[in-house]
Amino acid sequence: MQATFYDGVTAIRHEADVRVADDRLDLAWGVGEEDSIASDLLLRLDGPRESLRVGRSDRPGWRLIFPASAASVLGPLLPAEARYGRWVDRLGLWRAAAAFGLVAALVLFIGHVAPEWIAPHVPQRWESDLGQTLVGDFGKNRCAGGAGNQALRKLAERIAPGVTQPGERHIQFTALDFGIFNAAALPGAQIILFKGLLLETHDSDAVAGVLAHEVAHVRRRHVTQALIREFGIGSLIRLFAGGIGANTEQLVSLSYTRANEAQADADAIVMLRAAHIDPRPTARLFAKLAKQTGERDGDATGYGQFLQSHPVSLERAKKFAASFRAGNSYRAVLSRGEANDLLNICWNGRGVPPSVYAPYRLTTGTRDSRHPQEWRDSLGTVLENIG
Amino acid sequence: MNDHWSAEREAAATPVRGIEFTGSWREYLPIALSNALLTVVTLGVYRYWAAARQRRYLWSRTIVIDDPLEWTGTGKEMFIGFLVVMAVLLPFFLFFQFAFPAMVARGKAGAAGGIFTLFYIGIIYLGGLARFRALRYRLSRTWWHGIRGGSDEPGWNYGGEYLGRIALSAMTMWVMFPWAAVRLWNGRWNQMSFGSLPFVATLTTEGLKRRWAAIYLIPLAMLVVGGIVAAIGAASLLGSNRPLTVALIIGSIVVVFYLAIPLATLHWYAKYYRRAADSLSLGGLEFGFDATTWGWLKLFLGNLALAVVTLGFGLTYWGYRNWSFMVRHLHIYGEIHIDQTHQSTTSAPGEAEGFADAFDLGAL
Repeated sequence: MQATFYDGVTAIRHEADVRVADDRLDLAWGVGEEDSIASDLLLRLDGPRESLRVGRSDRPGWRLIFPASAASVLGPLLPAEARYGRWVDRLGLWRAAAAFGLVAALVLFIGHVAPEWIAPHVPQRWESDLGQTLVGDFGKNRCAGGAGNQALRKLAERIAPGVTQPGERHIQFTALDFGIFNAAALPGAQIILFKGLLLETHDSDAVAGVLAHEVAHVRRRHVTQALIREFGIGSLIRLFAGGIGANTEQLVSLSYTRANEAQADADAIVMLRAAHIDPRPTARLFAKLAKQTGERDGDATGYGQFLQSHPVSLERAKKFAASFRAGNSYRAVLSRGEANDLLNICWNGRGVPPSVYAPYRLTTGTRDSRHPQEWRDSLGTVLENIG
Repeated sequence: MNDHWSAEREAAATPVRGIEFTGSWREYLPIALSNALLTVVTLGVYRYWAAARQRRYLWSRTIVIDDPLEWTGTGKEMFIGFLVVMAVLLPFFLFFQFAFPAMVARGKAGAAGGIFTLFYIGIIYLGGLARFRALRYRLSRTWWHGIRGGSDEPGWNYGGEYLGRIALSAMTMWVMFPWAAVRLWNGRWNQMSFGSLPFVATLTTEGLKRRWAAIYLIPLAMLVVGGIVAAIGAASLLGSNRPLTVALIIGSIVVVFYLAIPLATLHWYAKYYRRAADSLSLGGLEFGFDATTWGWLKLFLGNLALAVVTLGFGLTYWGYRNWSFMVRHLHIYGEIHIDQTHQSTTSAPGEAEGFADAFDLGAL
């Protein structure tokens, strides 16, 4: 058999005469040069279909290149071709794809549910340490208004009695001097609210609703879950995946977070009811948010909602509004003076207070003479107008 | 005897090019399909093995003078290279994820910014190292006539040179970038070899200065012309229609920044790569590259269109298209004495393209 031969030492191209003898390959080239190679040193290389490329495991660059027809003679001497990678070659493409697919599904499933299993068993102490490391005392961004912080503590005690007392169930509430319309639960039983939230809502009952939602996240250890998810499956997938895994991760983590959010909303409604706080201001807050984000009523179902990490604001507004009971006696969470203090929590006490609390609604449910159904209808009209 | 082979003599007999791509998209389709399938079901882990398979095909369909190239890099070594680099980059990742926000939260934005700058410098250094090592790795896994390429240099010095030159050109608002680019090209290629032959790169900024100046002057000229047109328009046609005037101004700024500057930059790079290839030689072989700005643009737009039309599957053909583009535009002239060309004595690097991969530096 004739073959093209490279010895891996120089770039010279030889035409070699090759013979198969037992489990050896004898070749002769040039002027009387010969070699005999044991078949267990031979490699079958992945290459163009019209030729058969043979290498040697002990000599890089050593190549014998035959026409493809030589495979029938040389086949028995050569190991299987390395094509996809060792595992896939061994299993075959389809079986390997199925096996990998199964493992991938398992990894995604565990990544999806494991945070929920693990989170309750993470010592609170670890999380607190991590929280301290991450955020510290917020430095000069922390709003230090004394009366405002007192009002904030009072509000927290109303929605979750005992929450400001030292112990296992302690949560640290901090207002931050940023004009962001948001509040968040952080690792280590910390809840932060931004000045923007106070100034935008102008309503301490709505702030109570938002904070009750965050307290639920802390109590249910959703923060711990989120951390585990982020640094477990999240970082793993981001590490390897270009586009494919990132989308998978988004679907998994978002649908998951949505379950947490819905649970936190449900808990918040229970907390508000137990504390005799009117849920409608919170409903209005979400309705306002829906208006700001240009959300329409129709978005509340289907794909749009599925890809959002928080439930659509209109849906949340409706849930809070529906929890209102006309017969209940609701009490404002803070007095007018306290609400004013909370509003000015980021004011340093010099000069004129930047804002004055101006409630635009009645704070007790009993004074609202309308029937609950009627009230809900009117809210429905508001929501439709927003849409 | 077949020990002396002259490209010129052969070229005179049969008009073949020094380098030719003989692959076809149909032949590549099974590779593209199985690579996509395995990459999806392994959540992306297979992509190193997919890259190795793609290259084995592309290299084997690239005929240099009389024989195809061969790629011997493996998915496993690229995967390990990736893990090694991830370990190196872990401190950076942890800093940005934890330390940086923690310092900002404590009101120590200045200190955080200082460390941020230091890390940024480190990342630029690693970016230079990545380019060098990716080239060295690719040469060391590319075989032709039973010999391979490589480099004796590990690239640490090149990383420093890269950092210095990039910093200097940044300080001049990138005006000096062409000088940095040509010296870095020479710095990289003059350390590389194939077999016993060293690459020699002698690129200068000759012919590269005018197009670089155009990147600065074209947007400026467009803004001036746009300003005059807007002024005339505001005075006559539009009158008091202020929103329209504002829209026109914003529109022209968008056109300048998202169209004119990238196109002018591409125009420069097209020339740069032609000149860079011209400057390169290997023993008696010289190189040439003839892709024009329009050619590059067609490649990029074609890639985009392919991905859109095939709902993303076309992405698996980007590597194929890019490679065939490079080979179609590359020329090799001159002659090589294969009896005097011996095996490379450089050590084959182990960490593959981990750094380049981490910084997302492509083949182009």
